[in-house]
Amino acid sequence: METQAADIPGNAKPALTLDEKQLLAEATLKDYAIQAQPHDYYRAMRKGDPVHFDEKLGSWLVSRHEDILAVQADPITFSVNMGYHTQQARGMREEFQEILERDGGGYFPDAIMSDPPYHTRIRKLMENAFTAHRVKELEPRIRDAVVELLEQVADKGSADAVKDIAVPLTIRVIVEQLGLDHGMEAKITRWSAAVVAQISSMQNRETMVENAAQICELQNYLISKMRQRESQPSEDMISDIVHAQIKMPDGSVETLNFEEAVSLVRALLIAGNDTTATAIGNLFLLLATRPDVVRLLQESVDDDRRLTRFVEELLRVEPPVRALSRMTSCETVLGGTTIPAHAHMLLVYGSGNDQEEVFPDPRKFDMDRPNLGRHVSFGGGVHRCVGLALARMEVKVMAREIARRMDNIKLAIAVEDIRYLPTVATRTIEHLPITFTRRVG
Amino acid sequence: MGNLKVTMTDVNGTVHAIGNLNEGESLMEIAKANGVEGIFGDCGGGCACATCHVYVDQAWWPKVGEPDDIEGAMLDMVADVQRPNSRLGCQIKLRPELDGISVTVAPTSN
Repeated sequence: METQAADIPGNAKPALTLDEKQLLAEATLKDYAIQAQPHDYYRAMRKGDPVHFDEKLGSWLVSRHEDILAVQADPITFSVNMGYHTQQARGMREEFQEILERDGGGYFPDAIMSDPPYHTRIRKLMENAFTAHRVKELEPRIRDAVVELLEQVADKGSADAVKDIAVPLTIRVIVEQLGLDHGMEAKITRWSAAVVAQISSMQNRETMVENAAQICELQNYLISKMRQRESQPSEDMISDIVHAQIKMPDGSVETLNFEEAVSLVRALLIAGNDTTATAIGNLFLLLATRPDVVRLLQESVDDDRRLTRFVEELLRVEPPVRALSRMTSCETVLGGTTIPAHAHMLLVYGSGNDQEEVFPDPRKFDMDRPNLGRHVSFGGGVHRCVGLALARMEVKVMAREIARRMDNIKLAIAVEDIRYLPTVATRTIEHLPITFTRRVG
Repeated sequence: MGNLKVTMTDVNGTVHAIGNLNEGESLMEIAKANGVEGIFGDCGGGCACATCHVYVDQAWWPKVGEPDDIEGAMLDMVADVQRPNSRLGCQIKLRPELDGISVTVAPTSN
């Protein structure tokens, strides 16, 4: 079944080291140690088996930049709908669905995690809320929220950069954007974790049931908010989604049905929350361990174009989303490897962004890369992250305000003791104790 | 059906003369609807991905004008193929004074 490109005559591959051979033979992304420190495994795949079947995970890992782009360019052969919804509550989907139908107002498949042509309509209905120019209008409100929170932490001298700064900051912003209630922070954190856990491939039955209960609570809350906005629209993204419409070329008007709208509001809350917090956690780790990155941020802080580049390189070097799913709708060949029909795949963004031929010296934080926009942290093709302009802006505002208020950021634990969330879907620091001083002048 | 027209040279060098276009349509939308190779428009026209990058023919540059800061920041993401006459196709909306505009699709960043 598996054809290795290395076996094809004339397609010579560099020889693998013993360690790399062992990684390809034995390692799995299901293993926490690999999830936490994946770069050697990624490199071994790119070098020796670019489209690698991770047996213990049961997924094909697409590790090379060009193969990731090829998959993204063909959303019919490589189905997001089948890939995502297979990974959701993997092995326990029916029970998961029953719980949501019984206690959570319904099971609402993720409308955006679908394939064309259905996906095209959903996507168009969301896009207006997310243009870079619309997002720019949101910036002052987001900056105010960020500044208010950072002012409360800046004098404290120590904090958990994830739990005390990144997560509350991001939740504050998402509450503002979606038009949710303040004071919901703890709940939103729990709900978010539960949704992300459903695609972690790491749940057992007990945790699946616990997480499903959280998702029910989340859906019931969102549904009540959406009902309010149906009759009383306001300046927030729930209203945007509930009232979204586009005019078709034939003059007809398309809208979202209620099930679609619930799934999209839920997706906005999660996608814009966890991933952004992860990016800020990653930023703090770099600021605490890499004086060169501290200097680059300080030099960029008053120059919008430079700061945009800084953020983009942050997202390339440490992509918050590690990998997203696809499933083959038919047997196909990718990068010289034959993949059977209905095979689950993960596009490993973290590996594609490290491909030496595209990004020389890939582990270096180099914000002057002339092809920075080539990174795949936001995916690509028709499924490219719809919220990318918003994500960039949020991370940029946060990075700028952090740089203006905090100095001498240091890790309060050893680097080896940093724990990551056990999941294949993201690479997220769980806790990051730091010390710091308030920046003067 | 409108009466505006554009000429686009795609990444393979094929010239597309496209007519019957409406005011308000963007060059990105026109390119996608007419199979102009090299224009993707991943973000849907939101000025957020630089996959509809074109070079505006010099004669048309004064009428098209400079990109704003937001567009400039996106073009900077593909600096290796950016030129002084670079624009994002999604940000150029057809209007009567651009009737007949000619652009060349930029190669993808390396």
